[in-house]
Amino acid sequence: MYDLIIVGGGPAGISAGIYASRKKIKTLLITDTFGGQSIVSDKIENWIGEKEISGYDLAKKLENHLKSQEGIEILENDLVIEIKKIDNGFEVKTKEGKTFKTKYLLIATGSRHRRLNVPGEKEFEGRGVFYCATCDAPLLKNKIACVIGGGNSGLESALDLVPYASLIYILEYTDKLKGDDITQEKIKSYDKIHIITSAEVIEIFGQNFVSGLKYKDRITNEVKELKTDGVFVAIGMEPNSYLVKDLVKLNNRGEIIVDPKTQQTSLFGIWSAGDVTDFPYKQNNIAVGNAISAVLNIYENLKNKSI
Amino acid sequence: MPKIKIYTTPFCVYCKEVKEFLSKNNLDYLEIDVSQDEKALNYIVSKTGQIAVPVIEINNEIIVGFDKNKILRALNLV
Repeated sequence: MYDLIIVGGGPAGISAGIYASRKKIKTLLITDTFGGQSIVSDKIENWIGEKEISGYDLAKKLENHLKSQEGIEILENDLVIEIKKIDNGFEVKTKEGKTFKTKYLLIATGSRHRRLNVPGEKEFEGRGVFYCATCDAPLLKNKIACVIGGGNSGLESALDLVPYASLIYILEYTDKLKGDDITQEKIKSYDKIHIITSAEVIEIFGQNFVSGLKYKDRITNEVKELKTDGVFVAIGMEPNSYLVKDLVKLNNRGEIIVDPKTQQTSLFGIWSAGDVTDFPYKQNNIAVGNAISAVLNIYENLKNKSI
Repeated sequence: MPKIKIYTTPFCVYCKEVKEFLSKNNLDYLEIDVSQDEKALNYIVSKTGQIAVPVIEINNEIIVGFDKNKILRALNLV
């Protein structure tokens, strides 16, 4: 039986692992991959201590720091699929069929791109439906692209597409773009970017690949079609809280509610940190700090309550 | 050794992972940046039925994504 199982290998999970190993807590960290969401950023300029670093390089640095620690056990290339409450702790099951028992848990599973949940989205993922413009924009060379979402990430996706796509539509659900003014100005300086507001995407269609989408004009209720080769979905993030949704309290966005001093959830024995929590600012630096608070609080609880 | 070709884009994380993996195992490869080569892009899309990178071509075998085991099997290393 472990004292602590950390679920997740992003900045929160990694920092927790480092602190847990330095505190000599009997710990297992389980993650499919290391690095977290920002691994796909080509440039990070707000990671404290680095004027500029790529997401990939930052991920490798964090991973190497963790792996240089003694005493921590790491299970990589596997995924926690179930968490159950048992006497004196929790039982954790993985995709590869392994089972572990632990006294305490730290959920640091981050968040993922929110889905549109419209017909065609799932079917065409990787065949014209994308969630990372930085990664996939070059695949739309001389093609028509649609970006769904007029917030900052949508606008940045459109800018990522500018060097490649021949025509770019931005579809925004509300009646105006939401991204920063400075980014909006940039967007408006490109003739090949067209903005469609009050647009509700209702279907993505095609044969082998995406060939178009349907949207409803929310003012006239008219359904319109756009010819497109690629749909970039940029409508925000959703927390990966499904593992503990029946164990701890979530807010209306599905985020795990934590006490900001201790990072404890509503169920004693489960802590959480990083983007999966209801902490309002989703930042690498913050995920790190909050995960460390969690481990220090876990350490105190282990010391006070050890038999 | 069989020829290894990898089709990449500049900011794709798994492309970097594949390259790191091949280098670590002392395997030479030819990299084709499909953001600069539309013919190569059309080639991998038609070959794989997907619009995705990395694509790894070993002899006549095509692998989509960074799948260590598939790469090693294609090279007869496992």
